[in-house]
Amino acid sequence: MSGTSAFLEGLKAGLGEFVPMWALWLGSALISVAIALGLISLIAMFSVWLERKVAGHIQCRYGPMYVGWHGWLQSIADGVKLLLKEDLIPRDADRVLFMLAPALVLAAIVGAMAAYPLAPGILFADIDLGLFFIIAMSSMTTIGVVMAGWASNSKWTIYGSMREAAQVVAYEIPLGVSLLVPVMVAGTLNLREASAAQADFFGMGWFMFKNPFMLPAFLLFLVAALAETKRAPFDLPEAESELVAGFMTEYSGIRWSFFFMEEYAAMFLMSAIGAVFFLGGFESPLTHLAGQLFGRDLVVVGAGPEFAFTAINWGALVYQLVAGGTLLVKSFLGIFLMMWLRWTLPRIRIDQVMTMGYKYLTPLALVCVLGAALWEAGWQALVRS
Amino acid sequence: MQQTETAQGYVKNIWDTVKTTLVGMKITWRYMLQKPITVQYPDERMPIPDRYRGIHYLEQEKCINCLACARACPIDCIEMEAVRHGKELEWISFTLDYQKCMFCELCVYPCPKDCIHMGTEYAFVTFDRSEFKHDLLSFKGMAREARIRMKEAEAKKAAKDAAKAAGGGKSAEKGGEG
Amino acid sequence: MANETRESAQGSSRIQATGPGEVTVDIRTPDLEINFGPQHPATHGVMRILMRADGELVTGAQPHLGYLHRCAEKIGENVEWLQYLPYTDRYDYLASMNNNLGYSLAVEALLGIEIPRRATLIRIICAELNRIGSHLVAFGTYGLDIGAFTPFLYTFREREWMMALFEKICGARLTYSYIRIGGVFNDAPPGWFEEVARFCDVFDEKWKEYCDLLLVNQIYVKRTANVGVISRDMALDFGLTGPMVRGSGIDWDLRRDMPYMCYGEIWRDGAFKIPVARGEMGALGDCWDRSWVRVMEMVESTKIVRWCLDHMVDGPVIGEIPKTLKVPAGEAYVGIENPRGELGHYVVSDGGKVSIRTRVRGPSFCNLAVLEDVLPGSLVGDAIAIIGSTDIVVGETDR
Repeated sequence: MSGTSAFLEGLKAGLGEFVPMWALWLGSALISVAIALGLISLIAMFSVWLERKVAGHIQCRYGPMYVGWHGWLQSIADGVKLLLKEDLIPRDADRVLFMLAPALVLAAIVGAMAAYPLAPGILFADIDLGLFFIIAMSSMTTIGVVMAGWASNSKWTIYGSMREAAQVVAYEIPLGVSLLVPVMVAGTLNLREASAAQADFFGMGWFMFKNPFMLPAFLLFLVAALAETKRAPFDLPEAESELVAGFMTEYSGIRWSFFFMEEYAAMFLMSAIGAVFFLGGFESPLTHLAGQLFGRDLVVVGAGPEFAFTAINWGALVYQLVAGGTLLVKSFLGIFLMMWLRWTLPRIRIDQVMTMGYKYLTPLALVCVLGAALWEAGWQALVRS
Repeated sequence: MQQTETAQGYVKNIWDTVKTTLVGMKITWRYMLQKPITVQYPDERMPIPDRYRGIHYLEQEKCINCLACARACPIDCIEMEAVRHGKELEWISFTLDYQKCMFCELCVYPCPKDCIHMGTEYAFVTFDRSEFKHDLLSFKGMAREARIRMKEAEAKKAAKDAAKAAGGGKSAEKGGEG
Repeated sequence: MANETRESAQGSSRIQATGPGEVTVDIRTPDLEINFGPQHPATHGVMRILMRADGELVTGAQPHLGYLHRCAEKIGENVEWLQYLPYTDRYDYLASMNNNLGYSLAVEALLGIEIPRRATLIRIICAELNRIGSHLVAFGTYGLDIGAFTPFLYTFREREWMMALFEKICGARLTYSYIRIGGVFNDAPPGWFEEVARFCDVFDEKWKEYCDLLLVNQIYVKRTANVGVISRDMALDFGLTGPMVRGSGIDWDLRRDMPYMCYGEIWRDGAFKIPVARGEMGALGDCWDRSWVRVMEMVESTKIVRWCLDHMVDGPVIGEIPKTLKVPAGEAYVGIENPRGELGHYVVSDGGKVSIRTRVRGPSFCNLAVLEDVLPGSLVGDAIAIIGSTDIVVGETDR
C-alpha cells in the first residue's frame, strides 16, 4: 500500500462523513498536481543553476556568482525576470496553438511526474505501468513542441519542430528496447517494485551488476535519453547556431520558460528512470542501513479510523527520506552527466541522428535484449539444476 | 554514424565515438576541477598595462595650442581654442569627441611638447550623447598658478611702464586689469 | 534547373489526367526560401545568405554583402598616408596587425626606405601572434558552429593572453595600429619578448588539447569530413587563398612563394613548414582539412615567433620617416599572407600627402564567393559548417 492511498484512506476514514468521496479524490489530485508542479519548478531552478555552474567551471569560468552564495538564487532572479518580461506573440502566429503549446508541454511533463516515486512510500500514484506511463507522457511533449513550431509561423521553428518529431520517433525505439533489459530482470514496470528488487547485497544489488548486458544497455539508454530530452549532442530541435533557437525562437517570457522547465524536468525524469532501472533506485548501502535501523515501513502517516493524522511513524519517515534522497542524488548525478556531455561534445547532424538511432542504437539494443534474455534463461536454468 | 559497408567499419565507428568522447570528457573534467581563470569584473579587474590606450589626458600647462594633434587625427575629433596673453595661454576649450575617437594614438606622437597622453581609463558611459564631447581641460580658462604668474607679469609691466612714464616726465596712467 | 521545374510544378495544376482512368499527382513541394542572416548566430557578423532549401537539403545559396560597408577604400583616398592606418585595423578586425603590415609594406614599397632589422622582427612576431589569435577565433567559433561550446572558451583563453601581450606592446586589444609606415610605433616593453616565448611554450601544450577535445572527436570528424568539399580546380578557379586553398591541397603560401620582410630567410633556415591538407579524414578539401590547416598553422606560427626571438637584434624600431609624409609618385601592390589568405594593398600616389587610389584585395571577400557553389546539395547543418569553415570576417568582405 502506497503512501498516497494510505493517506487517502485516512482522509476517507476521518472526513468521509462530511465530504463526499469525489471531492476527496479531486482535492488530493489537485494537491498532487500542485506538488508536482512545484517540484518541477524546483528541479528546473536547481538544474539551471547547476548547469550554469557546471558549464562555467568546465570553461574555466565561475558562472553566476552574485545572487546568493555562488549565485544559487540566480534562477529565482531569472524566474522573476521571465515573469515580468513582455509576452510576445507574433502577428501572423496561430494564437490559440501558440498559447496552447507551452501549456501542453508542461502538462505532459507534470503528468509524467505522477509516476516518479518521491520515496518508497510517498508517491503521487503507484502505477503498475509506471515506466510505460513516464515514457508515454514525456513523449507527449513532442506534440507540444511540434505545435509550437507550427504555430510560430517561422521557418526556423518549423525546422526545429520537424527535427524534434523525427528525432523522438527514432529514439523512442532504442529507449524502450534498452529499458526492456532491466525490466526483464526486474519483472515489473512499477518503479517502486523495480527499486525494491535491487535491495539485496546490502543495497548494492543493482541491475547494473546483475547481467553482463546491462552496461551496454545502460549506455544505449543514456544516448537515447539524451536524444529524447533534446540535450546536446542531440539538441537539434533548438540547435542555437543553426536554427537560432529552433522551435522556441518566437517564444518569450514565461511561455518560453515552460519549455525550459519541461526540458529540465524531462532530464530529471530520464535520469530517475535510469537510476531506478539500472542504478538501484532507492537502494544504496545507506538505504540498507536505514532499513536495518528503522525498518522498511512504507506507511509514514498512520491511518487511524477516527482521525487522519493520528500517528507519524518517525522511523519510517527517516527511512523514506534516506531512500528518496538516494534516488534524488542519483537522478542529479545523471543530470550532471548529461551536462558534462553537453559541454564536451559537438552537435550531431540530423541525418547522423537518424542513422545513429536506426542503424546503431536500435539493433544494438535488440542484441542487448536478446543477450540479456538468454543470460537470464541460462541463469535460471543453472539455479534450478 | 556515416554509412559504412563493412562490419569492421561499423564497430570502428562505435569504438571511435566512445573513445574520443571519453577523451574529451577527461579534458573537460580536468578543467572543471581547476580554478577558473576569469575575474569577477567589477570587484576585481585585470591589470592595465602602462601603454593602454584609453581616455586621453592633457598636461595643460605644457600645451602650446599648436594643433599638431588635431591635424594628425584621422577623423578630426580634436578641437581646441585658446587665447594667448603674452607667454601665457588662456584656455577656452580642448575637446575630444569620443563618439568619433577610435583610440589610434596618432594624436600622441606628433605632439612637440609631449603633453597629450592616453590614460588607462576605459569606461566612459553617459546618458546623453553630447557628453561624449569630452573637455580634456581639467578646468576652464587658465591654471591658478598661471593666472597668478600672468597677473604678476602684467603688474611688473605696468610698474615698468609707470616708471618709464615717471622718468620721462609724462604721466601715463595705466588702468588695472582683471 | 531542378528549382525551376519545382516552381513551375507549383504554379500549374498538381493533379493532371494523363490518360484514360489515369491521374498523375505531383507531390513535390516548393522549395523553402530561408533568409539566413543578417542576424543569425552563425553568420560571423552581419552577412546574409539567401538559401533555398528542400526540407533539410540546401538547393541554392546566394550570399548578400554590404551590411558592414564603411567605404574604407574611399576614406584611404581622403586622409593622409599615416592617418589611414587606423582604418586598416577595421576591415579584418581579427588580424589588425596583418592589415597594418600589408598597408605599411605597400606604402614603403613606394617610399623605398629601409626598415630597421629590429622593427622587421617585431613586425613578424606581431603578425604571427596575430595569426595565432585569428586562427584561435576561427577554430573556436567553428566549434561553436558545430555545437561545441567549450573549445571556444578554451581558445579564447589563449587568445586573451595574446591580446594582453598586444595590450602591453601597443595599448590596444583589437585595433592595434601598431605596425606603421617605416617600422613600428614603439619598442617592445622590457620583459615582453620573454613573455612571448612563454606564450609559445604554453601554446605548444594547448593546441594538442584542442586536437583531443575537438579536432579528432568522432562527432566533429563526422560533421566536417566530406562536407563542403572544394576540389583543387575549384579552389584555383575561385582564386581562393590562405587556409582555404591549402585545405584543398594546393601548396601556396605567400610567406614562402612571394616572400616579404625576412620570411624568405626564415624559410631558408627551415624554421617553419607550410601545412597542406592531405585529406586524412575524408575527401581532400573538406571542412575538416581546412580546420586542420588552421590548427597546424598556429603551430608553425609559434616556430616563426621563436626564430624571430632567437635572432632579435638591438637597434631603432623606425626608419627615417619625415614628419609630414609625402610619398613619391607611383603605384605599388603588396600582397601579404593574412590569416585568411592574400591581403593585397594597391596604392597609387601622385607625390602628395594623400593617396589618389587605395584598393584592398580582401581574402574573405574572395573566399566567400565559393559558398554559392559549395552550399547547394548540403544539409542545413552542413551549410553552417561550410560557412564557418570559410572563416570570413564580414568587416573585410564589405570593408
